[in-house]
Amino acid sequence: MITGMGVISPLGDSPARLHDSLCQGLSGIKPIQLFSTAGLGCPLGGEILDFDAAKYLGGERNLRPLDRTSRLVVSAAQLALKDSGWSAEMRAAQEVGLVLGTMFCSVHTISEFDRRTLEAGPAYASPMDFSNTVINAAAGQTAIVHNLRGVNTTISTGVTSGLEAISYATDLIRSGRARALLAGGADELCFESFYGFDRAGLLCRSNDSAGDFPIPFDSRRNGLALGEGAALLMLEDVALARERGARILGEIRGHGSSYDCSRGQEDKDSVQAVASAIRQALHDGFILPCELDCLSASANGSVAGDRHEAQGAFVGLSGQAHKLPVTAIKSMLGETLGASGPMQAVSLLETMRDGVLPGIPHLEEIEDDFPLDMARAQSHEADVINGLINSIGLDGHCCSLILSRGEA
Amino acid sequence: MERRIVITGIGVVTPIGIGCEEFWTSLLNGRSGIAPVQSLDTSDYNVHRGAEVKEFNAEKYILNLDATRLGRASQFAIAAARLALADAGVEIGSLDQKRAGVSMGTTSGEPREVERFDDSYVSKNLDRIGPEFLARYPCHVIPAHVASELNFSGVNIMIPTACAAGNYAIAHAFDVMRAERSDLMLAGGSDAFSRITFTGFARLGAVAPETCQPFDRLRKGMIPGEGAGVLVLEPLDRARRRGARIYAEVGGYGLSCDAHHMTAAHPQGDGAERAMQQALADSKTKPEDVSYISAHGTGTLTNDRLETIAVKRLFKDAAYRIPISSVKSMLGHTMGAASAIEAAVCALAVFNDRVPPTINLNDPDPECDLDYVPNFARDLRINVAMNNAYAFGGNNASLILRKRELLN
Repeated sequence: MITGMGVISPLGDSPARLHDSLCQGLSGIKPIQLFSTAGLGCPLGGEILDFDAAKYLGGERNLRPLDRTSRLVVSAAQLALKDSGWSAEMRAAQEVGLVLGTMFCSVHTISEFDRRTLEAGPAYASPMDFSNTVINAAAGQTAIVHNLRGVNTTISTGVTSGLEAISYATDLIRSGRARALLAGGADELCFESFYGFDRAGLLCRSNDSAGDFPIPFDSRRNGLALGEGAALLMLEDVALARERGARILGEIRGHGSSYDCSRGQEDKDSVQAVASAIRQALHDGFILPCELDCLSASANGSVAGDRHEAQGAFVGLSGQAHKLPVTAIKSMLGETLGASGPMQAVSLLETMRDGVLPGIPHLEEIEDDFPLDMARAQSHEADVINGLINSIGLDGHCCSLILSRGEA
Repeated sequence: MERRIVITGIGVVTPIGIGCEEFWTSLLNGRSGIAPVQSLDTSDYNVHRGAEVKEFNAEKYILNLDATRLGRASQFAIAAARLALADAGVEIGSLDQKRAGVSMGTTSGEPREVERFDDSYVSKNLDRIGPEFLARYPCHVIPAHVASELNFSGVNIMIPTACAAGNYAIAHAFDVMRAERSDLMLAGGSDAFSRITFTGFARLGAVAPETCQPFDRLRKGMIPGEGAGVLVLEPLDRARRRGARIYAEVGGYGLSCDAHHMTAAHPQGDGAERAMQQALADSKTKPEDVSYISAHGTGTLTNDRLETIAVKRLFKDAAYRIPISSVKSMLGHTMGAASAIEAAVCALAVFNDRVPPTINLNDPDPECDLDYVPNFARDLRINVAMNNAYAFGGNNASLILRKRELLN
């Protein structure tokens, strides 16, 4: 059961603000201020402007050793704990854990630590920074700040990290290994990862006929925009949630994962992998394709990735995909990597609450053989009881998850 | 009835031997893999020794992918995976590869890829960095490369929980198999010797100048190392059907978080004790039935003391009767691979009824007063082995393996 959410995004720091922005078609993708993009092919990113963790934590105390990624996670965790009513006293009495998905944690921290070694010599590398170079640093730091003594796991499967983390947490709760877990993901925008995506030719090119934005599923799409953020769900077993009278926002019905051994190089294998993850999620949740009310797509504007998802959804949903309302919020948030799947979950839970599904801004020409008749540029009404979330990696990982509406 | 999961294959790439046989012989003979560091110029450091893997020929193991385009941790992981499958006598052709998966752990992923980025950055030659950075650096590429090499399209996950990661990865594979999401899992950990890791531990003052002497009064720290360990996990019925040799059954596991400090363990070993306790409960093992403990045993002043305290707190008087050894005395600390390699040690101990020693233990620390199997291997009936691992971020993981004769 999902009993709370916390989100820090380029489009707001609450589920309602994020959802309203998405439904209005606002974009968080703007020229990057965090670092110089001079000489790079794309100057745009979904940056969280004026991000200040102290605002959420009530001051700088405890924050000094934390890098940007950890600060994003600590902030989202604070919001999710508050939203779900898990006070510090309750956390002292009952173990709460954290399952965090992240692609890089902080490659910026890692790289800076190493560059200091190179430039000034090993004697000047900071031991405190070293503790942040491990990929589980953000999860560890967050556990310390919020006294989360239960399971603490970091999952890294690229873009799918966050949705995979929610799946992992769901299984721990189902099997009785944990009763209350924060689960979701985070990644920061930084020069090092941005440079990697730029060199890989994956970023959307500005000054192109399509304009300055990633346009998922559109035939004019030419790449993704990188974004950043953190999103966490509070997951609890049903008995615990009921016992403490928690508000139930929704339920994780099923999940599935698969891997494309060709790593996106062979269309047939890539489409099969997407379909397989969807089928497993349906099977796991005892849900039929016709019982789904919408698809929150992973599509981010990348040329091959969007095609694999569209065609994989057609196969995985036994030809029913064309009837499903579709949204692709990475059109406005950018590709937030580890945060992306959990961001989609937050947005979908808001759609379940208020009945509005965000559109895909600038979408004009859906690629011919994409079976997505219901994708719209504008937001529209949608009564969603069961929704499918896809998370499709750039190099082989696929994860799908089905959410159902709660009682609230 | 719950599906029972057994270990049928072991593959290791270590500083004291590649492949299960050479490794086990080295362990029983107390051979050390610690030597002057070769892959890094240590003249600017105050410590100079490490545990590197020597004479590793990646091309020998990597048959389908291009080994020259993979990072060292991926190369180790594939080699360990191939060795484990061969050891298990698994014919890849006989498998349903859609139901075969990979679960890996790591501390640093592919650190040499980011180090190459940093070298180029510092020398203002960033143009030398191309698309390979994104393709080779993020840690999820390690299980991805293993799966692509073997064409395994099932569950594929990286759990980068630093120095306890191998145990987390094996524990997850165990859950995945129990939930019948997979019919065969390769599970373990991999890490490559890196400048970042060596610098960081050196700056923490945690690296020993000469050698690793866990539990000795004169111990001066850990020795950074590298390697990989991979286990083949199968359901008992499948293993029996094909007449496989069964090393041990995976009994269960426990995970916890100190939520205390990023790099220092809890002063009373709180998290470590809770992880062990949960592992016992999960596997329905009584404390007095544990016949061997593979210690985290890094050789730092505090780790070895706190670990001793935690074992005594949980096992009470029985603690003095349980042999405990640290193979890090021979292997150094192979980071994310360590607990996977140590799980292999536990499986071999259970299978062979022999316990490897803690070498370099001549003058026991009075505060470390348990039986650490000093300097010589011991013949002993081992019914149940416990594998303990602790990490940065306060991540603790304990795993229980038990004898196949106990299987009904």
